[in-house]
This record gives sequence, C-alpha cells and structure tokens, in this order.
Amino acid sequence: MIKIIIDEDACVGCELCVDECPTDVFEFNEEKRIPEVVREKECFGCLSCSEICPATAITHEDILHSEEYYHDEENLKLASRLAVDVPLPLVPSDNKHRKAALEDLGIRLLAVASIFRQTLGGSLPAVGTMAGRTLATQLPRYRIPESFQEALDIVVQQFTPAWNIKPDYDGGSKLNMQVKNCFIRELCKEEGIELGGDLCILFYNYLAGYAGKLGNARLKLIKSSPGIKECKYDVEVFVKK
Amino acid sequence: MMKTRISTEWLSGCSGCHVAVVDLHDKLLNLLEDVEFVRIPVLMDEKGYPEADVGLVEGAIRSEHDRKALLRMRETCKTLVAFGTCAVYGGPSGIGWLYGKDTILKKIYTDTVTASGDGKFPEGAPELEQSVIPLNEVVDIDFYIPGCPPHPYFIAVALKTLLGASVPAISMKTVCSACNRRMEKREGVKLQRGMSAAPEEDVCFLSQGVICLGSVTLDRCQAQCPNKGIACAGCAGPSIDLITEPHLDIRTMIAKRMSMLTGIDRSEILDYMEKEAKTFYSYALSSPIIYKKPTVEIREWTLN
Repeated sequence: MIKIIIDEDACVGCELCVDECPTDVFEFNEEKRIPEVVREKECFGCLSCSEICPATAITHEDILHSEEYYHDEENLKLASRLAVDVPLPLVPSDNKHRKAALEDLGIRLLAVASIFRQTLGGSLPAVGTMAGRTLATQLPRYRIPESFQEALDIVVQQFTPAWNIKPDYDGGSKLNMQVKNCFIRELCKEEGIELGGDLCILFYNYLAGYAGKLGNARLKLIKSSPGIKECKYDVEVFVKK
Repeated sequence: MMKTRISTEWLSGCSGCHVAVVDLHDKLLNLLEDVEFVRIPVLMDEKGYPEADVGLVEGAIRSEHDRKALLRMRETCKTLVAFGTCAVYGGPSGIGWLYGKDTILKKIYTDTVTASGDGKFPEGAPELEQSVIPLNEVVDIDFYIPGCPPHPYFIAVALKTLLGASVPAISMKTVCSACNRRMEKREGVKLQRGMSAAPEEDVCFLSQGVICLGSVTLDRCQAQCPNKGIACAGCAGPSIDLITEPHLDIRTMIAKRMSMLTGIDRSEILDYMEKEAKTFYSYALSSPIIYKKPTVEIREWTLN
C-alpha cells in the first residue's frame, strides 16, 4: 500500500494538497495548520500533491514506477549529485524495473497490432504509413533534409539504439535495408510470436512512412525477409520532384 | 594525519562564492584543521594547478581560457565540485545564451556610442565561446553546490560530507520549506508587477500577489531573502522536481500555485512571467535543464 509522509517542519500550510487531491486523501488541521492524511487507502499514486506542494514536504513510499521513464538521464545525474547519500524519490530504477516496463510495453504493442488487424484487415500497412507521416510532420527538426539520403541518415540516427538500421541506397530508386538489433524482434522472441507478424508490418510501414515524408518520397516494398538475426527489405523509391 | 588538499578555481563568475567560503568565519578555522588550501585565487598567488583531493570550481565557461582551466582542474583533482549557480547552471551571465557570440561582440565593439569607432576587437584576449556553458557540458562533475552564493552552512556541510564526516543530510527541499511565512488563501488580491513590496510581514508573497520563486527553487540559502522581506529570485536554480520532470516549469508552477491561492487568472500570471522572462529565468537560462524544456521558449519571448 502507498504510504504518504508529510514533513511537518517543511509544510507551509497552504492547503493546496487538500484542494488538488482527486480522491480526498487529505484533511486540513486548522489548529496545527498542517494537512493530515485521513484516507490513505484512497491514494492511487498520481503524485499531484507532491507536484503542487511548494515546500516539497510530501513524499510517497511503495509507489509504482511509471513516471520515471520520461526523465532525462543527464538531468537525473545532476539531481542525484546535489546531495550525497540522499535517495531520490524519482531516480530511474534498476535494470529489473526497466526490463519489466519494456515487457509491459511490448505486450501492449502486440495487443494493439492484433486489434488493428482484426478491425482493419488489409488496411493495416496504411495505418503504419499514416503514423509515420504524422510523426514526420510533428517531430521538431532543426532543418528540412535536402535529399532522400539525408532523410535516411536522420531516420537511422533517431531509431538508434532500439533499432540498428543499415540502409543501402543507390541514389536512384533502389534501397536495400537491413535491420539488425530490433526491439520488436526481442519481444517476439520473448513471447514466442512468429516474425513478420502484424507488429512487424506496422513497424515497417511506420518507418517507410516516416522516411518517405522526411525525404519527400514514396516507398514501395518489393520483398521482405524477416530473420532471427537480421531482417532485410528490398524497397523501390519514387522521389517526388 | 594527512590533511585533505583543496584546490579552487574561478572562471566566469563574480568571486562571490569564494567570499562565501570566507563567510564560514570561525568555522573556517575548524575546517582548516582538516583541510589545506593548495590553490585559492582570493587568498593566495598560485598560478599552477597542484594535485588536490577536492576541486571547487566557481563560474561558468565563457572563454577559451575558462575551458582550458577547467580541463586542468579535472586532471588534477580527484573530486570536482561545481560550486555556485554559475558553475552548475550558467548563472546570470547565461543571458548571453540569448544572443550568440557575434551579436554580442558587434554590439560592444562597434554599435555602442562609446565604442572607439575603428571596429576592431581587442587583441590578445582569450577567444570568446559561442555561449555561456555550464561545467557539466564539458567535463564530468562529481558534486554540485548551487546557490548565489551557497549559504556557508551548505558549504560547510557539503565539504564535510565530501571529507567523509558524518553530518546532517543536505536538504533537497525548496526555499519554501525554510521560509517562516504563512502561505494562505486570499480573495480579491491583484497581481503586483515589477519590484513591489508585500505589505504583510508574516504572510507568503504569493498569497499577497507578489511573484516569489521560492516554491520552484532549491534551498541552498535557508530562505534568507523571503524571511527578510524580499521575494525569492530563484538564485539557487530549479528545484529537484523541475530538474527531473520535463513538463514542470518555473512559470507554469508559479502560475498554478498563485492562482489556486489568490484566484488571479492563471493566464495573466503566465503572460507577465513570459514578458519578464529575463528576470524570472535569469539564473538557469543557459542550462539545458531549462532551455530544453518543451514549455520554455525564452528566445521567442525575449526577442520581441
């Protein structure tokens, strides 16, 4: 169960946590001018109270690690070196937690892919392409790539280290892609799912849609050969003028 | 017993942090029983970089000389400490991040009325860096003591901790946790703009409509300003939650808390803080922790 600890010396008595809590965990003690934890069982760990608290007086114990993965590694390094031997509540956890989170994400992704397949049937590749194209228009970039080759370089850089993509582009219409390390392949291995399934199709089209939109081109898949160590794609590229 | 050797260096800063070491007063004598200063620019004339156990570096990197001096410090010190807000986040001189090197040089040496008129840049001075750079962008830093300057209490505790003595844990809370003012809800409060005083002495600035950055600032000062009647300017840099959470920002958190306390419209506070961004963001402007936040567009706000 989640445990909420209030540092009474630090608390400034602003009552903001009482207002902010969606499940009414706190009640304000007018005499002492501090909030009291009355319904601790109701807490579901949204951390709204510790976010709003001006004095950082509220800490939680036994909380699920879900927010951690949004954090920037460099910033965390700095934060953890602002004091010695003080455990940070939000330092990224060990590899065990990270692995559990990845597995969790993987199962969700696989489920989403199969739901798409069941509802959309043959239009599955189009969903991937649309997602890739949307990302290309929305992800902030410093400059617009001038050629398709440049777009490919950006794609390779952005998908590392979860994916190790090696494109071989001849400058014209022929593109051979090798995908070595693949996050999805690891997942499929863990879950015992055949390679080249719905998630692979979604991912390839997502990649193609993204690269195509960035490099102002249309990509047509000629042949795909998924493998245990690496996947190969033969693609025809039509660069728009 | 071997004394711990401390070496200090002073880059693009104001020397205030070094003076804060002297503010230890009689505690400095206690400290000197255990440590030996082998290089300290305010007190002794040592041009070289002797080997040391702990290195304290004050100030940010602004010129080529600063960069070289920092690299020498990293080579010669076992533990390197970024000492003061400039070293950790770039500090007030981080405002240079808004303009770029060429704009600044041109403004100073050719465009200003008092410039000599020949348009020449000075010779022999170390080359200016493109921007103001916090230390951890260049070398690996082992420990950070922000503060402008850090309160002598925190310097003493941090140094003793680094020397291995058992001392109270260093606070990771915000300035509000050390402030004696009472934060309470008010009605009919108006937003006070500019340098304005808060009439009541024991009530929080935010409750009285004055913007105070205490709740988004790390406590490295024991809340000296707010306890003496001056609103916090955020000199010790962002608090832990602002550093670790990308979506929390100085102006959004202040606006949220202040509007909950006083009922002032949140967008009014946000607008005001964006217009005065150079004031409210001045201490950590050139740190990627602040300028890489998705909610911060200081360049856009200030160029108009």
